[in-house]
Order: sequence, then structure tokens, then C-alpha cells
Amino acid sequence: MIQLFHVYKSFDANVALKDVNLKVREGEFVFVTGPSGAGKTTLLRLIFGAEKPTSGYILISGINLNRIRRLQLDLLRRKVGFVFQDFKLLPSKTVFENVALALEVSGHKPSFVRKKTRQALKAVGLAGKEEVYPLQLSGGEQQRVAIARAVVKDPILLLADEPTGNLDPELTQEIMVLFRSIHLSGTTVVVATHARELLEDTAQRTIFLEKGQVVGEK
Amino acid sequence: MKIRLLVYFFRQAIQSLVRNGMVHAVGLGTMVVSLLIFGSFLLLFVNLSDWVEGWGENLTMSVYLEDGLDEKMKQAIMRHIQGLEGASVKEYISKERALEHLRAALGERSDLLESLSRNPLPASIEVIIRRHNPRRTDPAAIVKGIAALPGVSDVQYSEEWVNRFRNILEVVRLTGFIIGGLLGAGVIFIVTNTIKLGLYARQDEIEILKLVGATDWFVKIPFLMEGILQGLLSGFLANAILFVGYLILAARKTFFLGVAPIHFTFIPFDYALVILAVSAILGLIGSFIALGRFFNL
Ligand SMILES: Nc1ncnc2c1ncn2[C@@H]1O[C@H](COP(=O)(O)OP(=O)(O)O)[C@@H](O)[C@H]1O
Ligand SMILES: [Mg+2]
Repeated sequence: MIQLFHVYKSFDANVALKDVNLKVREGEFVFVTGPSGAGKTTLLRLIFGAEKPTSGYILISGINLNRIRRLQLDLLRRKVGFVFQDFKLLPSKTVFENVALALEVSGHKPSFVRKKTRQALKAVGLAGKEEVYPLQLSGGEQQRVAIARAVVKDPILLLADEPTGNLDPELTQEIMVLFRSIHLSGTTVVVATHARELLEDTAQRTIFLEKGQVVGEK
Repeated sequence: MKIRLLVYFFRQAIQSLVRNGMVHAVGLGTMVVSLLIFGSFLLLFVNLSDWVEGWGENLTMSVYLEDGLDEKMKQAIMRHIQGLEGASVKEYISKERALEHLRAALGERSDLLESLSRNPLPASIEVIIRRHNPRRTDPAAIVKGIAALPGVSDVQYSEEWVNRFRNILEVVRLTGFIIGGLLGAGVIFIVTNTIKLGLYARQDEIEILKLVGATDWFVKIPFLMEGILQGLLSGFLANAILFVGYLILAARKTFFLGVAPIHFTFIPFDYALVILAVSAILGLIGSFIALGRFFNL
């Protein structure tokens, strides 16, 4: 599903990723962890095609992201959900509209969009908040809107960047349960987190990043 | 394309128009003024050319004949003239009649003519040319054709001032083209900037659309529609204002050179449509440029 070969990424003199080699199989659930600044966000953004590696290459479902065309990448993104660390919600749209957007861009029927959007919002515990605007919500609620938007399209790959960073332990558990159920439906899931407690009682595959390098795996 | 998508795009375009109402209003105003200037030129041109051609209508010509022409040749010339489109012979003026006319015109001093040994005046044919389609008939060509006939010594008609007006008309037309071109560029510039402001205002939204898998066209089409709408709206307004201006002008009795009350006509319907179509196309081009620049960033 995801393959990285000798991937380097630097921002000017700042090296964010150094010689990263990685393979994630279809249907896997992987944690990426490491201290702040280790390169977790950069790694996910590269996998998402939001950035290009400085050198090395990345294959997603066999497609080389270095060579991908704009349109092909757009179509790929319809199958990849991304939960952004900073949510990236539109303040001028309601919660419902924000989530529905992910389906509307693919030209789905309005009835289908409505049904799926309601389901996704219910799954993240936001039923009843459809007509509220993001800025009227707490950080944790906004984060869950972002999660709903990522999962609403039944992605084949879900990338989540610190998806529980703003949630209390109880909600964190709920979201992890949600991710597991999405995983069980066949979606490959990659979660980046610096929260050690998220990983303590899990037997999931975990990749440790430090200063842009893979320093271990569990 | 799916109707649903079209509806979506249209809604997005309208929303954007409304949301950036102030920017659009200013842009629209400037565009309307530009189009109005161009439209006024068109109106001026259409009327000037109508008047010029109108004055050239029902033009009378004097065809002077050589002396000693026999009846057969005279008839041949007449037949040729009758055969021309819109031409008819008003009357034949023989040498004698011409002299009588002159005598009558001289009145008391007609005795001056008594000293003449022979009649110096040529016979002539008075011709009326009615032009059913003024824009298609070319009087100069008709004159040339008649003058070339055997037995015709000279053809006269008051063409000089018509020609002078034609030249003025050419200048107006040329100025119109230049001004039209400049204004067109101006309109494109305005649309480009209006759309660009809209694009910047919605930068976050565009970023997010792209992140959730919208194609470039999905993002672009509403903006293109917005440009077209802006063009159409300004074209429509310009036509409407032009029409009101025309009504006001037409209601007044205008005298030109102190001669005749001038009859105003509005620009033909297809010209109005052209203004509308051109403004829509300019809007499209403007938004296209804005998008091109934006998506290259
Ligand atoms: N857009 C960027 N421009 C410059 N430097 C960046 C950018 N994105 C990330 N970095 C740098 O790359 C390194 C890794 O950052 P990041 O991937 O955000 O780490 P993490 O998500 O693990 O906290 C950091 O040193 C950060 O400053
Ligand atoms: Mg990060």
C-alpha cells in the first residue's frame, strides 16, 4: 500500500526526514511516534502527496508520487482520508457542510452525501451539531469534525496526524475505537502521535521517528 | 456534465458574487462605464452612418451629353440608366430647354444671351437614384459607369460632402476600434482583479477542496462562471443605460448644422447582443487569467 525508498525531505537547511525506508501493507494499522519535530507530520504529508520528497521516492498502491499527474493525485485523494493536526475546517461552513464537502467534490448524489455525512458525524459523537459552525465548537469537537470528514468517504487509506491531541482520555478511547472499526472494514490506517499513553497498551505496529530518522519499530 | 454539478457550480458562483458584493459592485461599475463608452461610440457610429447614407439617398445626378448625339444613342444611354438598380430618369433636358431655363434664371438680363451665335449648353438627363439598401449601393461606382458611356461628356452629383462625411465616419470607426480594444483590455483587467480578490478571499477553502480531492476544474469552474456572470451583468446594464440615454436623446429635437431635425436610431439588436456576448467573453478571459496566475502560485 505504502512504500518509501530512501526518502529525504529538507526545508532549506532544515532536514525533516533522512533516508526513510518504510513499507505499510494493505489493511495494516500503524502508529508513527516520536518527539515533537521528529518529522511525523512531514512523513504523512509526503505520503498524502502534499509535499514532494527532496530525494527518494514514494509508492502508493504502486503509483509513484514523484511522477503522478495533478488529476491522478486529485482522484487518489478521494480515496485517502487525512486528519490534519490543525483540522483545516472552513469557519464559514457548518459542521455538516464541512464534512459533506469531502463527498461533494466527487460528485456524489445529494441524498447519498446527506446519509453518509449524518452517519460519520454520529460515529464521532457529533450527532445534533450539524448546523453549528466550527468556531462555536471546542477544540476536541473540531477535531472530531476533521475525523468525520476524513472517514466519510470510506477511504482505503486513513492518515491521521495527532488525531487525539485535543481530546480527553475518554474521547481518545472512543476515537481509537472508531479508528479500529474503520480498520476492521479494510482501511489501512496510519496514525502519527507523540502521545505515549496512546501506545502503551497496544500491540499495534509502531514506528519510532527521531530527528527525521526511523530509529526503531515495535 | 451532470446537472447536479452545474447547479453546484452556479450556486458557488452566485455565493461568491454575493459574498464579495462590494468588490464586485465596484468592478461592475467600472466595467459598465467602459462598456458604455464603447456602446456610445457604437451608437454614434451607427447614427452617423445612417445620416450620411440617408443624405446620399435619392440622390439626383445630371448626366451631360455630348453635342450632336443622335436619337438612337440618346435612347441607349437612357436604357442603360433605367437598367441600374434604383435609378430612374426624371427628365431629359434638351439644349433648347437648358437655354430656356438659363434665360428664365437670368430674367431681365436674359438679353445677354442674344449675343450668342450658338447654344453653348449641353443636353442633359436628370437621374434620380433611390437606394433601397443604402449600405450596399455605391454612388461613386454608378457615376463612373455612366460617365464611361459613349456620348456622355460629364456626370455631376453632389458627392463631395458625402465623401467628406464618409471620411469622418472612417475616423469614428477607427477610433471606436482603438477605444474598444483599450476598453476591452481594461475590462479584462478589472475582471482579473475582481476574481483574484475572490480567489485570495477563498484561499483556505480552495486549499481544503484540493486536500479532499477536488479536481482543478471543480475549483475553477465556479470562478469562470463568476467571471461570465459579471461580464453578462455589466453588458446588460451597459445596454440598458445606453438605451435609456438613447430614449432621452431621441425625445429631444436635435438640429444638425441647423438643417433638419435628426432622427436617432438605437444600435441594432444584434449589436446589443454583440456587446453582451463580448462582455461575457471578456469576463471569461479575465477570470481565466486570474485562475492561471493563481494556480501557478
Ligand atoms: N513547511 C516547513 N517549512 C520549514 N520547516 C518545516 C516545515 N515543515 C516541517 N518543518 C521542519 O521539519 C521538522 C519536522 O517537522 P514535523 O514533521 O512537523 O515534526 P512532527 O510532526 O514530528 O512534530 C521540524 O524541524 C520542522 O521545523
Ligand atoms: Mg506534527
